[in-house]
Amino acid sequence: MRVRLGYFARATAATALAAAYFLPGVFATAQQVDMNAVDQPGYQPTPDEEQLSGAYERQEVFFRTTEAPGTIIIDTKGRFLYLVQPNNRALRYGIGVGRDGFQWSGLQKVSRKQEWPDWRPPPEMIERQPYLPRFMAGGPGNPMGARAMYLGQTVYRIHGTNQPQTIGHAVSSGCFRLVNADVSDLYDRVSVGTKVVIKQAVAL
Amino acid sequence: MGIALRNGALALGALGTAFLAGCVSEPAPAPVVAAPSVTSDQLVGKWGLAAYHRDSDRPRTVKEALAQCNKPYVIRKGPNGGVMMYLADQPQLSELVLKAGPDGVTYLGPPGAAGTADDRQISNIDADSFTTIWVDPDNAGRYGTMVYERCGKRA
Repeated sequence: MRVRLGYFARATAATALAAAYFLPGVFATAQQVDMNAVDQPGYQPTPDEEQLSGAYERQEVFFRTTEAPGTIIIDTKGRFLYLVQPNNRALRYGIGVGRDGFQWSGLQKVSRKQEWPDWRPPPEMIERQPYLPRFMAGGPGNPMGARAMYLGQTVYRIHGTNQPQTIGHAVSSGCFRLVNADVSDLYDRVSVGTKVVIKQAVAL
Repeated sequence: MGIALRNGALALGALGTAFLAGCVSEPAPAPVVAAPSVTSDQLVGKWGLAAYHRDSDRPRTVKEALAQCNKPYVIRKGPNGGVMMYLADQPQLSELVLKAGPDGVTYLGPPGAAGTADDRQISNIDADSFTTIWVDPDNAGRYGTMVYERCGKRA
């Protein structure tokens, strides 16, 4: 997979990397949460860029668990999301996870699903990059990607991305990101109420 | 006969050259560039800023722009009569001016020719709103169509 950092990312990465931000609490909307140093609002990756290879490519794997089929298990350390299948199998997706200080564990359920979610950069990002729109309607090029699955009442979600090169990396503010093809695939396989187990590491 | 033909050909050639020379030397009419239909004073103020890529999203984007007035995009008057705004991906303010293009489009950008890469087209302007789209295709693709709605405007 080719790594692409465009003008936007190059221009902002230095300051953005140094300026971590976080919006926990009741005032943060879900759309505000996941944004990081290399996001490029409006950037539309090519099909080649969106094609993952190797371990992060979507694939069925051996997976032994006591969780019921249909459960989502997130392996933060391994950068994988597993969708449990019958007979000790799982669909495995490559993901991007929260960067240091923004990782978390817990048990949640998918509380809402949204196609082409909107994006609202958080105030800290507006402060650093005041030229950004304060709202960007969902669609191709939106940093939130093609689909979003909200996790309980938290501000976190599983969502797509227009930055496929961030898969396999700890880059977000606590959300879990997949390439758009993968998040769409997952979206079609899960329903509201799906159990989501977020772990630091998964023992196979 | 041969001489007559040759002279005729020469005469036609000379005539053609004259026409050609006339075509080449005739200066193209200068485009009539009207003054911008927008004044910089119209842009000064606090604005809710939102963007969309699909035209079907425009109505709700306009509403969202109004909802963003807690994080307004502030446009102030510049020292040279322009307005202080941000260029794409530039966190420092620049003084931008309104420019009329030969195509009747009004552009907003650094002083100079209209319609350059740093410019944005400005449209749908009234007292309480305006719309811009970047001339640069990369910027236009990334940022889409940007809607500015005046904060505190009358309903």
